[in-house]
Amino acid sequence: MRIHIRLNDIVSRAGRLAILAALMAVPLSGCAQKDEPAESAAAAPRSGDFMVVMNRPNNVHLIDLGQRAVVRTCELPGDFGPGSVALSPDKRTAYALTNRFENIYGVDLETCEIRFSARQSQGDERVKSIGSIAVSPDGREVYTHQNPTRLLVDRYEVQEARIAVFDTSAGLDAKPVRTFPAPRQVTIMAAGDDGTLYMGARDIYAMNMQTGATTVALASQSRNDPLESPRDSLSVWPLGDINNELVRMYSAAIFKDESQDMATADWVWGFERVDLANGSVESKVFGPLEVVLFSGMARPGKPNEFYGVLTQLKKFDVAARKELKSVDLEHSYYCINFSTDGSEVYLAGTFNDIAVYDADSLEKLANIELPGGDMALANSRVFSQRL
Amino acid sequence: MKHFKPLNEKARLLDEATREGGVDEVVAMQTVAGCTATTDPGWEVDMFGGVAGLCQPMEADLYGCADPCWWPAQVPDVMVTYPDWAGDAPSAGQDWRKLDAVFPEDDS
Repeated sequence: MRIHIRLNDIVSRAGRLAILAALMAVPLSGCAQKDEPAESAAAAPRSGDFMVVMNRPNNVHLIDLGQRAVVRTCELPGDFGPGSVALSPDKRTAYALTNRFENIYGVDLETCEIRFSARQSQGDERVKSIGSIAVSPDGREVYTHQNPTRLLVDRYEVQEARIAVFDTSAGLDAKPVRTFPAPRQVTIMAAGDDGTLYMGARDIYAMNMQTGATTVALASQSRNDPLESPRDSLSVWPLGDINNELVRMYSAAIFKDESQDMATADWVWGFERVDLANGSVESKVFGPLEVVLFSGMARPGKPNEFYGVLTQLKKFDVAARKELKSVDLEHSYYCINFSTDGSEVYLAGTFNDIAVYDADSLEKLANIELPGGDMALANSRVFSQRL
Repeated sequence: MKHFKPLNEKARLLDEATREGGVDEVVAMQTVAGCTATTDPGWEVDMFGGVAGLCQPMEADLYGCADPCWWPAQVPDVMVTYPDWAGDAPSAGQDWRKLDAVFPEDDS
């Protein structure tokens, strides 16, 4: 699914050009423009695919993927981590979970102005969020999954996990407008088109964001299949915008029979996904478990082609459950993504370069180096912009 | 080692390595890459018991694992206790020499 945005829906074309002209003339505090070619390119109306990603020390980057250039680098206050970002529906604002998994900043990607902020830790309660940030489909609310701990004089008390809802128009130092009890171990989240919040944890849960009512959307570790071992799933990379899905991989043993003999089992990779358009879920084996992979997703427009990455980039035929192609990478990358037309693969995370690969041949096309240090756990968001 | 009898394949391999003089290599690996106290893959061996599945190079994985306390026994707790451990080293691959050991502060 292609996502097209029109900045003209947000500000008039003339107004936007005025902003860009001002950007060229006046260095903005907290907004580091890149070198001259990138800045010149930034001043012209742009279209094509863009990426938003964070890195150390605490930067948010807007990258023109077609030009292989960093358009803008916005510096956030505080420390890095985990570097998870979620975008507003108009792609104008990036909501960053940072400062050692505690603070949220909503930064304007055109001006680098911080329009929204929230300190989740308050008083004697320390709050950490592990990769779990999402924006409502209307852009009015941002959600985080909170793991609170009360720091008392003589002991720490672990509190119940919860979902916090923030009003994105609340400006700086926002407080939650409501909270709901939530499952523990939530590490990725995404909002469905109908406003339902999907949370990846031991299972994938669905939460009604008005009532807090929570159900299991897709059973993962709570499955009771005598022909399958408990699933192992690792994901702190909220992915899938360009397929309008929440997706994560799992590994498991598939047994020959109910004796569950490990020696004869088939070890497999599978994926679990939620279609954010209608809430339907899917769980499917896509290939043999032969190497460690950290993130994966289907090629846009070609759901039978599933790609995974860590130290290799691999392409699988889902229906045949077999690997089609594999290449060794120059270094490990955590986070996979695609161009909106599915022709290019973008690898992010770990160090400070985005690797670009041809989705058919898996040949490397380019590296886009980011100013600053490691992306580490940061996720990437890709979107298409047509002017 | 003479009082130990290997009971599984890994133990037999260790026993074999000892007899063939490979102990120093094992010690060196522990010194350089750390010695995990967890059962999570990622530092010494991967989920298959080898090293091919580990991140390459190790520095690529360093902050991704240190930031969320994935390696609590191998690197300082930067999430809470030692937040500045890597403050002057934004690039693990280039700045790793700046990453030093930490010690509890003396409150007295």
